[in-house]
Amino acid sequence: MTDRIRSPGTAAITIGVIVFLYAPLMIVVLFSFHSTGGLSLPFQGFSLRWYESVLGNVEFRRALTNSTIVALTTSLSTLLIGMLASLGLAKIHGRLRTVIGAFFFVPLTLPGLFIGLSLLVWFSRIELPPSLTTVTFAHVIYVFPYFILIMLAVLDRLDLTLEETAADLGANPWQVFWKVTFPQVWPIMIAASCLTFALSFDEFIITFFVIGSESTLPMYIWSQLRRTVSPTINVISTLLLAMTMLLWIVAFVAVMRSERRRRYSRFKDTSIT
Amino acid sequence: MPVHRYEHRTLGPFVLTLPAIVGIVLLFVAPFFTFAVYSVLTAGILPFQADVPVTLEAYKHFLSAGVNRTLARNSAWTGFFAAITTVVISLPVAFWLRYAAGSRRNLVLLLVTATIFASYLVRIYAWRSMLGQNGVLNSALISIGAIDAPLQFLLFNRFAVTIALVHIFLPYVVLLLYAALGPVSINLLEAAQDLGAGVIRRWTRVVLPLVAAPAATAFIFVFILSASDYVTPQFLGGTKGIMLGVRIQESFLKTGDWPAGAAGALTMLVAFLLLYLLVSFALRLLGLRSLRFVS
Repeated sequence: MTDRIRSPGTAAITIGVIVFLYAPLMIVVLFSFHSTGGLSLPFQGFSLRWYESVLGNVEFRRALTNSTIVALTTSLSTLLIGMLASLGLAKIHGRLRTVIGAFFFVPLTLPGLFIGLSLLVWFSRIELPPSLTTVTFAHVIYVFPYFILIMLAVLDRLDLTLEETAADLGANPWQVFWKVTFPQVWPIMIAASCLTFALSFDEFIITFFVIGSESTLPMYIWSQLRRTVSPTINVISTLLLAMTMLLWIVAFVAVMRSERRRRYSRFKDTSIT
Repeated sequence: MPVHRYEHRTLGPFVLTLPAIVGIVLLFVAPFFTFAVYSVLTAGILPFQADVPVTLEAYKHFLSAGVNRTLARNSAWTGFFAAITTVVISLPVAFWLRYAAGSRRNLVLLLVTATIFASYLVRIYAWRSMLGQNGVLNSALISIGAIDAPLQFLLFNRFAVTIALVHIFLPYVVLLLYAALGPVSINLLEAAQDLGAGVIRRWTRVVLPLVAAPAATAFIFVFILSASDYVTPQFLGGTKGIMLGVRIQESFLKTGDWPAGAAGALTMLVAFLLLYLLVSFALRLLGLRSLRFVS
């Protein structure tokens, strides 16, 4: 490596930051396996008893089911609406593109507190009682800009001449999508959907205002946090961490795969000419 | 065929974006304006309701209540400390990743960004179990004999809230500043070094002017999200660290005075907007690159 400089000071700070980021999370995971109910050092041995008690808990299971349903519905609806929107936007040019593109990112401008409050007032005004449905609506509007952000970054680099060629050769828009566009973008669709699923699965700030008496996993953690401090919270936290981290890895692998394919296909192109 | 293609090029793409546009109007624009209208309504006799007449009473009440001023000050200070700490810590990390990491860059980038996906509530809980009276930090310090009695100042104050917020926003800011350093060639640093600039002068004369605008963007991003947080202060702030967001949330879900809550929230948003304009203006005055959220 020639193009790097020595910087021991910033290297030390980077190590410090990694420790700072990971230590609290590792502690949470470690104490989920604690054999006693204590949450302070010294650590007194491993046990899975807290996992047993959490996994057997009815409230926990209901929260887990609810979270899964909401996150699945959210990511699938976002995939459908978001794919249509980003495919459309990639073909729009000029000022209209700027306006619509900016409009898609408008929900990002407000912090969660304000989105949650707005939706609370709105749902009450249109007399839609708080339920998992309102939670799903809220999650879709929350994750949509992130989905678009990823899709547009990819679609903008895509070779649109291929689609035009296919259309010129007589393919209808449906065929163009499935035979030309889809094979190029599916890894990114998976990555973006994993991200939206994870965002929804973990969302609390907005959910809190629109959920009513239902429960999701973050809502369940919240209620536990208010009641007690016990290793069961560590267990639920560990499961939630594992879940979101796993989705993140899947998304990461999907992106890497598509990058490699893209590079490979470009290489083939140049070798032909 | 040509007719078909012509249609496909003009109207087709726009029609595809329609569901998303309708969705944003119905689930963001309309809700926000309804919410804004509530701030000028009068609270009903029953809680969780509001109606005409239109008045500015809610704003007057909000701005004149001393407790709100204390909470607003708390929010502002917490936001400020969280934002400045996050940016100051992230700068050297972004610098190292960009110029000194070499072959370890991807691994460290992966490690840092992976924590973005660690649950928000889990982090709050993690810091509560770290900083508590019988928490990990205290019990560790006692067991190695560094202290005799648990430190009381760790939890339930602004310090605890700030540290959790820094933990939450740090990976985003590292990523943002790393991306901002992308176009800044390492040759600039080497040239400065060849011309005799030491570490400090390289930072003050080369790096900082170039990242001032993105760093300001990161500052505002962390400030706004921290100052409007209503969950972290509830669990880590105690009575001293309580913030405005908590009170606004309570007026919507507990006391049911919606106009009061809406007026408070909108005042807060206006304050954020003013901060944003102030920082953009200051950057322009200093002749630095302008503020940008989506680059």
